[in-house]
Amino acid sequence: MKLVNRVITRLSVVLFIIFTIWATMFYFIIIDEINDETDDALEDYSDHIIQRFLAGEQLPAKDNGTNNTYYIIEVKPEYATVNKQISYSEDMMYLESKNEYEPARVYKAIFRNKDNRYFELTVAIPTIEKADLQLTILWWTVGIYLLLMLAIIIINAWIISGNFKPLYRLLEWLKHYEIDKQIPPLNNPTRTTEFAELNKAILQSADRNNEIYEQQKNFIGNASHELQTPLAVCLNRLEMLTEDESLTDKQMEEIEKVRRTLNQTVKLNKILLLLSKIENGQIPEPEDVNINVLIADLLESYRDVFDYKSIEVSIRETDTLHLNMNRGLASAMFSNLLKNAFIHTTTGGRIEIEIQSDWFVISNTSSVEAPLPADKIFERFYKGNNSEGNSGLGLSLVASIAKLYDYVISYNYLTKKSMHSFSVAVKPSPRKG
Amino acid sequence: MKVLIIEDDPDLREIMQKFLTKEKYIVETVANYKDALIKTADYAYDCILLDIMLPDGSGLDLLRKLKEWHKSDSVIIISAKDSLDDKITGLDLGADDYLAKPFHLSELSARIRSLMRRNKFKGEMLIEAGNLKLLPDNHDVTVNGKSLELNRKEFDILNYFLSRSGMNVNKSDLAESVWGDHIDMVDNYDFLYAQIKNLRKKLKESGAGIDIKAVYGYGYKLIEE
Repeated sequence: MKLVNRVITRLSVVLFIIFTIWATMFYFIIIDEINDETDDALEDYSDHIIQRFLAGEQLPAKDNGTNNTYYIIEVKPEYATVNKQISYSEDMMYLESKNEYEPARVYKAIFRNKDNRYFELTVAIPTIEKADLQLTILWWTVGIYLLLMLAIIIINAWIISGNFKPLYRLLEWLKHYEIDKQIPPLNNPTRTTEFAELNKAILQSADRNNEIYEQQKNFIGNASHELQTPLAVCLNRLEMLTEDESLTDKQMEEIEKVRRTLNQTVKLNKILLLLSKIENGQIPEPEDVNINVLIADLLESYRDVFDYKSIEVSIRETDTLHLNMNRGLASAMFSNLLKNAFIHTTTGGRIEIEIQSDWFVISNTSSVEAPLPADKIFERFYKGNNSEGNSGLGLSLVASIAKLYDYVISYNYLTKKSMHSFSVAVKPSPRKG
Repeated sequence: MKVLIIEDDPDLREIMQKFLTKEKYIVETVANYKDALIKTADYAYDCILLDIMLPDGSGLDLLRKLKEWHKSDSVIIISAKDSLDDKITGLDLGADDYLAKPFHLSELSARIRSLMRRNKFKGEMLIEAGNLKLLPDNHDVTVNGKSLELNRKEFDILNYFLSRSGMNVNKSDLAESVWGDHIDMVDNYDFLYAQIKNLRKKLKESGAGIDIKAVYGYGYKLIEE
């Protein structure tokens, strides 16, 4: 939900409740005031009539052009003592002016003249006019209520969307920000202190992230680099040691085992260096690499090993695959795919290779006859069950190289053939223009 | 044969010196760019082993100086930077070979030998061992002047052994050199055995004065009889 909509919704709910309470209260207070005023008017009128009546002056004409009406009757002293001296009531009254009964506010006053005779004065104002007034007030209240709500919501929406522009510009900028790319310039002028601070904070954070990322990236490269010389020293000392004629066969064997492990370390280190180089973008110019030729060369050099393990390799070339990439990386990528297939194929197994104009697939049988976790196998140091002679970096290197050149690498398990299949596909290049 | 080692790591310097001395070279060592400049300006060496990254300068600058002075010392660059750029720059500046760290001493020895041979025979490569001659560029082997038929793998193996004669050859190193880097995927080098066996048989039949002997648990060794 967008911020503007959220604010407006919340505001509407709150305003609705507050305005409803306000309008109701307003209406009833006004109505109360009107009733009060009406009663006051009745009282004044009655006082005026009673004074005149007691003074024996002429009373106002019954038909005086207003809708007010009055009459005086004499009552018994008992009636006067039983009833209240002054009373208000809503009643039906016969209006002489209108010659009909109508609902009216009625004021009754009992008074006594100097002869100790009791009279009751009844004054009435038809309520029809009051109801009209009340209705008018109700409509206006509702009208103003709606108008106010609408105005407040529209003004708010306008102010929010206007003032939050820097926020949306910042969000747009963040979408384009990538940690391994250069930080794009942030053009987000604002006079709002909070947004200015937010701009600053985000830029600082981006700088810091990039810095940390750089350090991380360089750290692996530097560490592997620094390892080269000590590794060389270890290997060479062992090599010197093997020249010692007095060594026993057993000792020679042990030295060989240490050497083999050291060699693995050297290889691991080399792959790490290469990965770090790829991630740092320190890759020499690409060139046109014919993958069919490359695969043929690789297969030729592996033939003895494949034969030794009685692995049947079949290759199906429907077209020539040309990739525009660094030759060394192409070789690393495809030899690692071949190596991966070889390592996991059991003796007497099968490897199938297919080359088309825009993709390469290599499938192999394996002792594991179930799909592998596709999201994990390209991770660094994932080894699965078979860890012998497996650095856990081969497929990760393949994935890194593929990513560098925007190739799509994917893993599938072919259930029918019980084969694990890896494919490298060239993305259709975006058409120019 | 005089060799100058320019290497800042004391351990590696020591071991290279020890090894090459044992290989009957006259070895001198320096640890930094400044000393290297003095040595190379004053003396001539048959081979200079040059580390590119020195604490007080770049080996590539030293190469430029050598060129300036018209020195004819052969140079093998030894670098921890296994980068193509450095390799190309180094070779362009007149270095004769490039060896990336970490390397095997036998590999270093083979490279020096090959370089010395090239200088001796003015560019033509020829490896001699007793009555056997091997021309690497022509893929040609003769024993007592008679041609010896070898397949490609056998030829490569023989070539590898000849440039390391008298040294222990590790089977995994041999396999990687002949079959390619990624041969390390096999955990068993038995397939080598068949090739070596054939080669030995052919050598024996032709009457060559060399033999390949097994070194238990480690690999093989070429011996001149």
